[in-house]
Amino acid sequence: MTPNRVQRGATKKRRVSLALLIVPIVLVAIGVAILLAMRGGTVPIIGGGDEPAPPFDFIVKPATAISTAPDADEATLSASADEVAQEITPMIDDLYTNAYLDPSNWRHDDYEEVFATFAPDAAATAEQSVETLTLGATAGDVFDTVDPGKSKLSYQVLFDPDGAPETAVVSVIFRATAERKDGTFLAIVSEGEFFLRQVDGWKITAFDVTRDDHEAQPPSPSASPSA
Amino acid sequence: MSTHPARRRAALLVALVGAWVAGSALGATPPARHASAAPLFQLEPAHAEYVPVLDGSKPIYVLVIGSDARPDQAIDSQRADSLHILSINPAEHRASLVGIPRDSYVEIPGQGQNKINAALFYGGPDLVVQTVEQLTGLKMDYWAMTGFASFEQMVDDVDGLVVDVPFAMNDEDSRAFFDPGVQRLDGDDALAFARDRHDLPAGDFGRSENQGRLMVAALAQLKKEFNQDPARLLAWVASFVRNGTTTLSLDEVLDLAFTGTAINANKVENIVLPGGEGMIGGLSVVTLNQESLDTISKDLADDGLLKKANVPPSPNEQLLGG
Repeated sequence: MTPNRVQRGATKKRRVSLALLIVPIVLVAIGVAILLAMRGGTVPIIGGGDEPAPPFDFIVKPATAISTAPDADEATLSASADEVAQEITPMIDDLYTNAYLDPSNWRHDDYEEVFATFAPDAAATAEQSVETLTLGATAGDVFDTVDPGKSKLSYQVLFDPDGAPETAVVSVIFRATAERKDGTFLAIVSEGEFFLRQVDGWKITAFDVTRDDHEAQPPSPSASPSA
Repeated sequence: MSTHPARRRAALLVALVGAWVAGSALGATPPARHASAAPLFQLEPAHAEYVPVLDGSKPIYVLVIGSDARPDQAIDSQRADSLHILSINPAEHRASLVGIPRDSYVEIPGQGQNKINAALFYGGPDLVVQTVEQLTGLKMDYWAMTGFASFEQMVDDVDGLVVDVPFAMNDEDSRAFFDPGVQRLDGDDALAFARDRHDLPAGDFGRSENQGRLMVAALAQLKKEFNQDPARLLAWVASFVRNGTTTLSLDEVLDLAFTGTAINANKVENIVLPGGEGMIGGLSVVTLNQESLDTISKDLADDGLLKKANVPPSPNEQLLGG
């Protein structure tokens, strides 16, 4: 049966109403997705989930050896302390990369790799301090990008009376700049000490770390690491 | 002209999405956050058959022995002229310090009755531990020992100790010449402060309390320096290991030092076992007050801490104006 004029009119009116409702929603959704994609946000429907972490290495100062033997050879211990520093530094580089810089971690609140650096007892406490030791559980909702800044490590290494390294204290100053999704910037500063001992390889057995973030100005366009 | 309802809805949606995006990024800079973790302690038993509980639920007892060995003498075969039980309650971050007068006339296992300081000469630190354990009924977890020269060096290695000298001291024998007040003592001065007894009315009792005062000052300073720079712990540990004698491994010294950084030095009860001086067989000795000894030992046994009610009067009360 052919619909009469009144029925056709009603159907047409419903189609127009639905179109008026759906089309703007779809357009807005696409617009938001494009906007987010342009600003580096994660939009699963258009990919972008495999962003690499920015390259990062701490600047390392010469290590200080602390002897427990009254007649230790200071030069030998000093060289050993530098070796310990060389051994531990890649671990601390990775720790901070995993905690602050790798988007595949902070976008998804996945910091499991961070806590693998800690000895079991310290790891339990570290996991309760995720907001201090990492970019944070909600970082993926807040930030678009995080770029490392000039960051430094210094070492003090305690040697046993036989000259074997026993404990290393790593003093850390880590700096990064995070851009929020609203275009503002946050200077991230993590400062403190990590105590490491040989527990199935060097592991963090104690730590004392402070986060002291503050608002930051957008980076100058001319500023670059080589500038 | 009225706005079309669908456009209004779309505008509202854009506004909501915009607000959500913006809202998630807005907000004040978070306040500074701080995280730290230090191992409470992990202890090596002083006795092969005895394993202390490691979870902080049990107090730790350390016998601190000061040998009167001079620089050219072995510190473990002289007399123990300074004896203190340091009992630590890790769970409460508190400690007590009990001085044992060196002339206390006690039973030394295998040696009969004698002054307690002779135990070191007869059997080294192990016999001193046995003697103190028999006297108090407390099981020592560790002992630590130092002599004159090593004590001086230890203090110098940590750049001196800040001590609140409680009263004027003028003693030619020990070379203790101090005005009262807070001052930083180098190793030489700290040793003089620890040795002075001739110008103290209670003699060795007063000296023992002052030795405890030095230990409390060291605890306070360790905590303060650790809070300012945690790496300073290594300097303290290294100083102790270089200049002291202990059964502990370096790992254990570190753990104990960590535990020390958590102690509130202001709440450490520093006492000396009370007793009376007398002569036995031509020896000038101290007869400990048995009732006080029993009360204090029993009080320490449960949680390592002394109740105020069981704190005896200071032997330096007269000088302190108490």
